Amino acid sequence: MISAPGVRDVGRSRALSLPDFCAARAVLAVVLIVTLTAVVLSVARQNVVLGFWLDLARTALFLLWTGLGCAAALCLLRRPLAALPLATAIVGALAAMLAVIALVSAGVLWLGGSSLLGARATNLLLPEKPWHFFAANLGIGAIVGALALRYFYVSGEWRRNVELQARARIHALQARIRPHFLFNSMNTIAALTRSNPEKAEEAVQDLADLFRANLSEQRSSITLKEELEVARIYQRIEQLRLGERLHVIWDVTDLPMRAQVPGLLMQPLLENAIFHGIEPRPSGGIVTVSGALDGDTIGLTVRNPLPEAGGAAHPGNRIALDNIRERMELLYPGRSSVEANRVGDEYIVRLRFPHVEDPTRISSL
Amino acid sequence: MNTLASTQRVLIVDDETPARERLRRLLDELGEVVIVGEAASGEAAVRLAGELQPDVLLLDVRMPGMSGLEAARHLALLPAAPAVVFTTAYDSYAIEAFEAQAIGYLLKPVRAEKLRAALQRAARLAAAQLTSIARADPERPARSHVSARLGDAVRLIAIAEIYYFSADQKYTTVRHRAGSELIEDTLRALEGEFAAQFVRVHRNALVNISFLAAVERDPAGQHQVVLRETGERLAVSRRLAGELRERLQL
Repeated sequence: MISAPGVRDVGRSRALSLPDFCAARAVLAVVLIVTLTAVVLSVARQNVVLGFWLDLARTALFLLWTGLGCAAALCLLRRPLAALPLATAIVGALAAMLAVIALVSAGVLWLGGSSLLGARATNLLLPEKPWHFFAANLGIGAIVGALALRYFYVSGEWRRNVELQARARIHALQARIRPHFLFNSMNTIAALTRSNPEKAEEAVQDLADLFRANLSEQRSSITLKEELEVARIYQRIEQLRLGERLHVIWDVTDLPMRAQVPGLLMQPLLENAIFHGIEPRPSGGIVTVSGALDGDTIGLTVRNPLPEAGGAAHPGNRIALDNIRERMELLYPGRSSVEANRVGDEYIVRLRFPHVEDPTRISSL
Repeated sequence: MNTLASTQRVLIVDDETPARERLRRLLDELGEVVIVGEAASGEAAVRLAGELQPDVLLLDVRMPGMSGLEAARHLALLPAAPAVVFTTAYDSYAIEAFEAQAIGYLLKPVRAEKLRAALQRAARLAAAQLTSIARADPERPARSHVSARLGDAVRLIAIAEIYYFSADQKYTTVRHRAGSELIEDTLRALEGEFAAQFVRVHRNALVNISFLAAVERDPAGQHQVVLRETGERLAVSRRLAGELRERLQL
């Protein structure tokens, strides 16, 4: 029942994932690669008639037109190509690049045939055999273009793999509800069914909601309000079992309740605080959940007492913290932090992450 | 045997109120037993077992403070120790150990028919069985108390209250805040179990580190430890003096 939910999109049909050539970074990369290629070609050719610099200028001019032209074509065609089946998209992209090369080559030949540059420049700079020039450019373009597309495809596949693995791991970790909690809750409900049927009914509803939150896989982020509600449901169930021993103080009224947060952020922290801080203490204790908005950053803090000296301490609370840290890092790369410290006789976990209210923006931060 | 003598007297032990409530109701419905009391902790279970002399304990494995396993170990000292049926929601190590030792246990939520069967088969457990199960517990390497037999009851002494253990040829004595008692554990076993808290100062003495006030030499050049609170002095053997110094500096 609590087995890890499968990752569904793995089988999504494979598509050609091109880099975004409209982005400044990509354009800069194209310019750099093209210029370096021109340098390599000019050095290798050792053209004695033109000399190195003139040869470089000529080659770079031609290659920059071709390179930036291809980048522009792929930029315009990115969306339509992404929607096509893989083979068709590759043929389409290759055809677009060859068309650009043909256009630029034709432009060069037209310029050579015209009298715009003057006879001397034309003789020195332009190819002698036009049709040979045309065919060679298309041939080289086809080979280089195919290699580039192959590279984009492989790196896209690799990136998708990494993302899928991360997502699968999230799901596997999310699906971990402590079996102890489940069976103890069932026992509590079994006791309540006769002594207090209304409470038992409530507990079953709470348990259902909690499992739904734990098993849901559609959304990687939910609103802070929903997330706090899941944690409160968890508290209600534990309250039935632990009674007077458990006190939870909620100091969260200052938080932006519509903020998007990763699912199962607070509940595992509260679970940890109760499992490690309250359960091992015969007299119980107080767990404090507090939160504040500091500029664009949301800070959440959960504190619980340490087990009494000599009392039994449950081992291993790092797993939940590591899980939360990984998920926050995936959602807000480099902009979140998870700290856990012993301070005096308390254990304090602090989360900080950016305040985002638009769910579509959360993955593109 | 008449029916009255065969009626089992049961003590319910669980730290969670709803769990105790439920066992009480199930036992009431079985109708063949008398519930003599309820306890919410291991310590209370040991104390009540002495007072109420139940035949069977329904004993939760996982409780804060003293666990059910430890309570059972203390009770196993008694010549007329009660039978024990453990209850657990999910303690995989304990369940494995119970299976291996053929010890009766019930999984929560407990089913009425399984409860009936477990009570019929309930048997007193040997100390050795319980010790070996306790060793499998990943969370509690040592007991929270040692125990001394006191007639039909068990006297518990919290580890934090103990000044030192000392041994002569036959007996181990535990000297603690409220006096001293004879216990059945050997000094060697105690040293192994409480290695984090106690240090051997002599072939015949194991001292609680938190009560060590000072290490001194008497006029004859013999090393001694001085204890906090009592001011008692215990001889330190020449061989262990160096080790003791190292340990105290840590």
